[in-house]
Amino acid sequence: MIRTPLRPLARILDARRKGENPDAIERENMHRRHEEMRGRARVQAEGRLLILGATFLMVFVLVGGRMALIAGSEPSEPRASAAGASIRAQRADILDRRGRILATNMETYSLYAQPPQMIDPGHAADRLAAIFPDLEREALIEKFTGKRKFLWIKRKISPEQRQAVHDIGDPGLLFGPREMRLYPNGALASHVLGGARFGREGVHAAEVVGVAGVEKKLDSMMRDPARGGEPVRLSLDLTVQAAVERVLAGGMTLMNAKGASAVVMDVQTGELVSIASLPDFDPNDRPGVSGGADSPLFNRAVQGVYELGSTFKIFAVAQAMDLGLITPESMIDTKGPLKWGKFLIRDFHDYGAEMTTSEVIVKSSNIGAARIAQQIGVERQQAFLRDLGLLDPVPLEIIEAGGSQPLLPHRWSELSAMTISYGHGLSVSPLHLATAYSIIANGGRQVRPTLLPHQGGPGGKRVMSRETSAAARRMLRRVVTDGTASFGEVSGYAVGGKTGTADKPDPQGGYYEDKTITTFASMFPADKPQYVLVVMLDEPVETTGPEPRRTAGWTAVPVAAEIIRRIAPLLGVRPEIEPAPLADITLTSSN
Amino acid sequence: MSYLEYTVRNVPAGPRKILYLNWPLLLLLSAVACIGFLMLYSVAGGSLTPWAEPQMKRFAIGMLAMLIIAMVPIWFWRNMAGVAYGVSILLLVAVEVFGTIGMGAQRWIDLGFMRLQPSELMKIALVMMLAAYYEWLPMRKISHPFWVAVPAMIIMLPAALVLKQPDLGTALLLVFSGGGLMFLAGVHWAYFVAVIASGVGVVTTVLQSRGTDWQILKDYQYRRIDVFLDPASDPLGAGYHITQSKIALGSGGWTGRGFMQGTQTRLNFLPEKHTDFIFTTLAEEFGYVGGISLLLLYALILLFCIATALTMRDRFSALLTLGIALTFFLFFAVNMSMVMGLAPVVGVPLPLVSYGGSAMLVLMLAFGLVQSAHVHKPR
Repeated sequence: MIRTPLRPLARILDARRKGENPDAIERENMHRRHEEMRGRARVQAEGRLLILGATFLMVFVLVGGRMALIAGSEPSEPRASAAGASIRAQRADILDRRGRILATNMETYSLYAQPPQMIDPGHAADRLAAIFPDLEREALIEKFTGKRKFLWIKRKISPEQRQAVHDIGDPGLLFGPREMRLYPNGALASHVLGGARFGREGVHAAEVVGVAGVEKKLDSMMRDPARGGEPVRLSLDLTVQAAVERVLAGGMTLMNAKGASAVVMDVQTGELVSIASLPDFDPNDRPGVSGGADSPLFNRAVQGVYELGSTFKIFAVAQAMDLGLITPESMIDTKGPLKWGKFLIRDFHDYGAEMTTSEVIVKSSNIGAARIAQQIGVERQQAFLRDLGLLDPVPLEIIEAGGSQPLLPHRWSELSAMTISYGHGLSVSPLHLATAYSIIANGGRQVRPTLLPHQGGPGGKRVMSRETSAAARRMLRRVVTDGTASFGEVSGYAVGGKTGTADKPDPQGGYYEDKTITTFASMFPADKPQYVLVVMLDEPVETTGPEPRRTAGWTAVPVAAEIIRRIAPLLGVRPEIEPAPLADITLTSSN
Repeated sequence: MSYLEYTVRNVPAGPRKILYLNWPLLLLLSAVACIGFLMLYSVAGGSLTPWAEPQMKRFAIGMLAMLIIAMVPIWFWRNMAGVAYGVSILLLVAVEVFGTIGMGAQRWIDLGFMRLQPSELMKIALVMMLAAYYEWLPMRKISHPFWVAVPAMIIMLPAALVLKQPDLGTALLLVFSGGGLMFLAGVHWAYFVAVIASGVGVVTTVLQSRGTDWQILKDYQYRRIDVFLDPASDPLGAGYHITQSKIALGSGGWTGRGFMQGTQTRLNFLPEKHTDFIFTTLAEEFGYVGGISLLLLYALILLFCIATALTMRDRFSALLTLGIALTFFLFFAVNMSMVMGLAPVVGVPLPLVSYGGSAMLVLMLAFGLVQSAHVHKPR
C-alpha cells in the first residue's frame, strides 16, 4: 500500500516559508487518513452488516414459511390415544386354531409414590394400609417421610383398588399404566403357553417378556412391532385341550398316578391339537422354580423322557416287515427265557414255543420282539429309529423342547438293540412316541411335530412303505380287539394302538418292583387314521381288583379310550356305525 | 474511532438522559414480555401462579436493572468488559465445582434468592469482551493470524466450560454469537470459510464416533439428532416433544383456538410447556397470526438494534449493540426452529417469553447496555 506521507517535505518547507505552523499540515493529513480509513471500514462493516441482515431475513422467512406450512396442514387432533394403542398391542395375543384367545394383554396400573409431593404421608399410609392389607402402615410412613423421591408401592393393582387409591386424593400417589399378560383360561394349556413376567420397568410402561413355553420361544416374534400386534395362532384346539385335560386329570386321580401326560397329533401334518401334562399350574400366577421332575412346571409330555416299554415293539416289527425279513404271518421263536450272556429276557406270560408276528404285537412278547431285532441288527435299527425322530430332541415351538434329548445307551450293543425293541434302554418323551406313531399311521412319511397350524404338511421323507404301514396298523387294531388293550375299544372309532408298561428305573440302580410308567399309544380310526393319541401315566395303581394292577391295559388304556370318546366328535371324526341288519321288508305290489 | 475521540460535551447528561433512551426498543421489549405473561397465565390454566406472577416480578426487576445500566456511561461498561468476562469464567468454573444438579446437567449456582446460570451471564460478557477487544485492536491488525487466534481463545474457553456442564445448546450459541461478532468486526472471510469447513468435518467425526469407545457426545444427544432427522422414529420417546409441538401448531391453524383454549398444552401433552416449548401454546391459541406477530416483534427489536448501531460513532458501542442483537436473534431463531422441527431439540428458551429467571434477567441487562450505548452517543 502506498501511503501518503503525513509530513510531505515540499508542503512543510512551503509552509515554513510562509510562516505557518507545519504541524497543522500533519494534523490535516492525519485527519484525512483517519477519514479514509473509517470510510473503508464503514464500507466493509456495511457489507458485513448486509450479510448479517440477509441471514436474519432468511431465517425469518424460513421460520415463518415453516409455520405457515404447519398451520395450513390439516389440524390433527392429539394423537396420544392412537400412539397409546400401539403400546397396548405391544405383545401379540395367542389364539387357538379356531381363533379363541389363549393369552392376551390387560391394562392394569402400577402404583408409585413421590414422597416430596405428598401432602399428608400419615393419612395416605393409613388409607393405603386399609386398601392393601399386605402393606404395613409404619413401613409406609417411614418410606414416605424418608429421603427417597420415588418408590414403588404396588406393581399391579385392579381398577377398584386404583379408584380407592385415587379417592385418597394425595398428589404424591401416582399411577403408571402396566400392560399385564392375561391367560383367561387359567391352567389350560399352561405348559404350552409357559408364562410371562415384567422385564425392564419404567414409570410409564413395562416390558413383558416370556419366561417359558411359546411365550419364550416366540418372544421376539410376539414383540415384533412389524407384525403390528397380529395374533399368533397355535394349532391347539381349546375345546379338545380342555376335554383332554379334564379326562386326564380324572384318570390320574382314579389310577392314583402322580403325573400324567397326553398328546393328540394330526398324523398328516404333525400339528398338535392338544398336549397336556399334569400336574399343571396357572400361568397367571406362575409358581417359582422348584422340585425338578415333580414340579408342576415340568412338562412331562416334552421334557420327560421315559422308557416307554412295549409301545416300541411295533417299530421293530414294522422295520423287519419293511426290510422283507418277516411277514405278519411269519412264525417267530418265542421260547423263553431268551438268554443273552448273563441277561435273561422274559415274557409276562409264557406264550409257547412260537407265534406269528401279529401275535407278538397282540400278545406283546418281549422275546419275539428281541428275536426280530436280532435279525435287523444294530445299525439298521439305529437308522430307522432316527428316521422316526426318536434319537433327537423334538423341534417344537416351546422353549422346553430343547430339553427333550432322548437318553441313548452308552454303547449300542446287540443286547441294546434287543432291549430297545421292547422299549427298554432308550428313553424318549411321549411327544417323540406320538411323532413316531404318526409316521406309522399316515402311511410311512415323516412328520415334524408343530404347534403352529399349517406349518407341517404331507410330503415328508418316506420311512416305510405304504403296505408296511397298513400291515402295522392292522396289528395295532388287533391289539385293541384281541389283545392287551381291550379296554381301548370305543365303538365306532376303530381304535388301534399298543400298550407299554415299563418299570421305573431306581436312581440307586436297577428297577422298582412297584413303580411303572404305563403308556398307550393309539390312533383312530385305525383303518385310515387321522389322529394319534399318546397317554402316559406316571406310577399308576389300579386298585379295584383283589390285587393292585399296574399294567397299561388296566390304567392308561381306559383313560385313553375315554379321551377318544370325548374328543373324536370334537375333532369331527365321524363314528362308523355298523349297518343294522335290514328289517324284513317285503316288497308288495298293490295287486 | 473510539469514544475517547469524541467530546463528552455532546453527550446527554443528568436526568435528560431519560429522554434519550431508545423508547421504541423499550416498548417492543415490554410488548414481547407481555405476550410471555399471557402465555404463562394460559399455560397455568388461567392462573397467575405458579409462573406468570414470578415472571412479572422478574421482568420488573429486569426493567429496573436495564434503566440503571442505561444511565451509566457506556465507557464505564467498556472498562468493565474484562472484569465481567473474568467473573463469568470464574462462575462457570465454580459451577463445575459446587453447582446444583438440575435436569441431569450442572448449570446453576444457588444464590439463595435465585438460581444463577453463569452460562447466561457469559453470553453478555463474551459480547462485551469481544467488542472491547476489537475497539482496542487497530484496524489493520484485525486479520493477522495471531490477532484472530486471541478472540478465538476468548470464545472457546467459556464454550468449552459450558459444553462440559453439559449444555450443548448454550455452547453452540456462544460460539455462533462470538463468531458472528468477529465476522462483523471485519475479520477476513477466509477464516470463516476454513472454520465452517472444519466444522463440517468435526460434525462428521462426531457422528462417526457414535458407538465407539471414544464417543464424543452423550447418548441422549445422539438420540436427539436421530429424532431430529426422523421424528416419527420415536414418537413416544425422544421424538415426543417435536411430534406434540407440531400437532399443537397444526391444531392452532391460521387463527388459533382462542386464548386459553389450547388442548395440547392444557392437557399436559407437552413437557416443558412453560419453558422451551411455550411457543407451541402461542401457536395453538393464536394460530399463525399470533406466531407471525411475535416473529414480527422480534424482527422489529433486531431492526431497532441495527438502526441504532449504524448511528454509533465508536466501535465498542456498535459492535456491542450488534453482538447483543445477534445473541437475541440466535435465541429465538434456534428456539423456534427447534419447536418447528427445523433444528434438533437443544435447551434454548424463547427470549423474554419462556419462564425462567436467568435468561430473562440477562437479556434485560444486555438491552440495558444497548440503551446505554444509545444514550451516550454524541449528538
